[in-house]
Amino acid sequence: MIRVGYFSPFVPPEWIAAHGACPEWLTLDGTASHAFNATHRGVCPCAGAIAARTMDDFALDAMVLTTACDQMRYAAAYLDTVGKIPVFLLNVPSTWQSLQVRQLYREELERLGRFLTEIGGREPRGGELESIILGYDQRRSAALEARAKVSARQWQETLVGLRSDPLGLAPHQPKAGQARNPTFMNMSAPCAEVANKDSKTRARMEAAGPTSSRALQTGIPLALVGGPLMTEDRSFLAMLEQVGGRIVLDASEGGERTLPATVDGRRLREDPLEELVRIYFDSIPDVFRRPNSHLYEWLGEHLKAHAVRGIILRRYLFCDLWHAESHRLRQWSEVPVLDMDVIAGDEGESRRVLGRIEAFLEMLR
Amino acid sequence: MTDLPDRITLNEWDRRYAELSRAGLREPDYGGCLRRHVDDGDTRLLSLRMDNSAASLRLWNFLLTEEDRLRKAREEGKLLVGTLKDLGTVPVMVYSMKNAVAFYPDGAWWIPCIMERNAKLLEIADSLGIDDSFCPVRAMLGAFVSQAHFPIPDLLICSVGATCDDLSAIAQRLDAMGHPVHWWEIPFRRAPDPGEESVALPGIFLAPHDQVAFVRKELERVREILQDRAGLALSDADLAAGIGRANRVRSLLDRLRETVFAASPAPLPALEMLIAEMLAIHFCSDQNECMAVLESLLAEATKRAGAGVGPLPEDAARIFWVNPVADLRVMNMLEDAGGRVCGTEYLFSHALDRIPEGIVPMEALARAALADPMAGSPVDRAERICHDIGRFGAEAVVVSSIPGASHCALEGTIIGDIVRRRLALPILEIEVPPITDSQEPTLRTRLEALVETARSRRAGIP
Ligand code: SF4
Ligand code: SF4
Repeated sequence: MIRVGYFSPFVPPEWIAAHGACPEWLTLDGTASHAFNATHRGVCPCAGAIAARTMDDFALDAMVLTTACDQMRYAAAYLDTVGKIPVFLLNVPSTWQSLQVRQLYREELERLGRFLTEIGGREPRGGELESIILGYDQRRSAALEARAKVSARQWQETLVGLRSDPLGLAPHQPKAGQARNPTFMNMSAPCAEVANKDSKTRARMEAAGPTSSRALQTGIPLALVGGPLMTEDRSFLAMLEQVGGRIVLDASEGGERTLPATVDGRRLREDPLEELVRIYFDSIPDVFRRPNSHLYEWLGEHLKAHAVRGIILRRYLFCDLWHAESHRLRQWSEVPVLDMDVIAGDEGESRRVLGRIEAFLEMLR
Repeated sequence: MTDLPDRITLNEWDRRYAELSRAGLREPDYGGCLRRHVDDGDTRLLSLRMDNSAASLRLWNFLLTEEDRLRKAREEGKLLVGTLKDLGTVPVMVYSMKNAVAFYPDGAWWIPCIMERNAKLLEIADSLGIDDSFCPVRAMLGAFVSQAHFPIPDLLICSVGATCDDLSAIAQRLDAMGHPVHWWEIPFRRAPDPGEESVALPGIFLAPHDQVAFVRKELERVREILQDRAGLALSDADLAAGIGRANRVRSLLDRLRETVFAASPAPLPALEMLIAEMLAIHFCSDQNECMAVLESLLAEATKRAGAGVGPLPEDAARIFWVNPVADLRVMNMLEDAGGRVCGTEYLFSHALDRIPEGIVPMEALARAALADPMAGSPVDRAERICHDIGRFGAEAVVVSSIPGASHCALEGTIIGDIVRRRLALPILEIEVPPITDSQEPTLRTRLEALVETARSRRAGIP
């Protein structure tokens, strides 16, 4: 089975899976990004990490990137010129006001389907898309139910699994003669664990480690807003809980903010692809949408619902989209905002971050 | 008075202006001595060397009086449309209406250079959290806040999608600050799939028919907004006439580029050519005068080329320039280093290509919009650059990157690799901030080295 990497919440893994391919939400390595960015100044660490990962991962057969930001578009072009594996650039419109942009997104999914078929996937079999969409939806609902009981780090790991192959459709075997890289192993573990085991998933989430358990009960409720996290950032999340914070709302790129909406059974039966368009394109609030008012509406609703007392805006250096929102978010928010610009893979980074978080929590106490 | 072509300083222009006036110089109503612009704050002129022709004087005066024209348009009750990002398409629609004027607030990009940061626009942007990790277009945000540069437009129309993050992010901030933006989507231009119906765009690209149809519908939304706000219909006949006028500007520019880039010595310097090209994107707020300015430049260039004279030496190294420079002085610097520009791709080559005529106007405009080099892959852009290098025969290429610009981080590598592979030309990548004074020695040395390399290759030395 071909393995298809992706890194945008607007790429439905259900669609990839229905084409007989294994979707893989990439976990990114900040150190690799650091090396790439050292020779390509101005590249956002995330785009750098994607480029580095694509060039180094021998287990991937193809990559799907999106037009959601300029940096990603250019990374796609760069990878195209390197030519290691096929790269598909999914056109995700920034606007959402007209019916025709929805239609464009739908047509782009169809084009992605053809691409997957050409590179070794196959067309969805009768009823397969519908049942896969439903399966993913059930896993997400189950995970969301247990959300409050897990640490931020576990939640991120769970979401990586939910965005990959939670139904366990793919035999997880590295290609002959090729070693799976460690980040891939990290990522696929929760993925396999979640597959077909809803009750187990809950149990695993509930069995959070001692630090997390304490933090879950007493930590100051915080929201994490901004771009995606990298593998190393898991320790940032643990660190945050250790010093007295608790992420009750993960609105980072890989968090619950970018999960698709709940599936509507009737619509799904009528037109499964259209339902994918609805739960992804129509529903996910993101910073690049124009206007991005849905992002603020979503935040407004969820910050209140979770009684959030402080926001950590975590954005990468050279990410214009999140950077530009920092000032606006601070003016808009009723709770304090800690604006953290990060460079991935920097040794001195965690000390600086820790110091700032401690000061922020001190202020909130 | 000598009429020999030369690049002269502002002090020399004072004398030259007096001479020209004595010799009976006739100027339009915005004419006058260049010195007055320095008095108005455009202090970078003091560091530039400008062409000494009356045609260039008219060009500079036209450029530097745009704000006056915009204010006059407002007084006359015209609809002021601020078009953002698409660089060349929406203004053609706006100028097809009798009671509307379009301009690019993103043109504030150059204010920190022209006014040498005296306008403090970057500082205002800083205070709003838009620091120097963004490209100089952040000056636009400052200009909206200070309201001291262009009049605040009645309507803002911004293309988004396959555009840069800098402008998209800043335009979103403007929207949130109470300057509502009408967004329209420009999709990422992809190559047509095998067997897919395709359309030839102005320039050299092909696009899938469906993408052109999509853009056409998006531009129909723009048409509706314009009609609604201007209170006038914008018919196909109006648009066809507007396209015809835009094409007259584009064909004048094409002839000017052909004349200047092909001739040796170069009849006009790079700086004036850069400004002339910029006129194509929105006609500097007066389409008829824009044509008159270009006609006089073309006449001057043709006269000089015919006489075999120009302000630069005949053996200047022929350089193809990629991306606009945030500091205009760098165009002087290249020439001081022994180079000359003979081909450009300033990110808006689609605004120089003729818009198709004889087809439905909205279809023609959609094709023009989709031909934007930034709407497609930088690989396509590199193809276009290679194509244009072939047209004018460059000996070396400068990719001048723009500090903070989201597309510049990787595009130089991509374009450089392709051009090197295809044409085996020496390539120099430099970064040009709005004021380069502190970097001047380094920049100059690097440009001199490039020129030297190009010359030695000419002599057969590898
Ligand atoms: S972090 Fe920002 S710039 Fe980087 S890929 Fe994500 S949206 Fe793009
Ligand atoms: S310079 Fe580049 S990044 Fe800046 S506004 Fe222009 S196209 Fe966008």
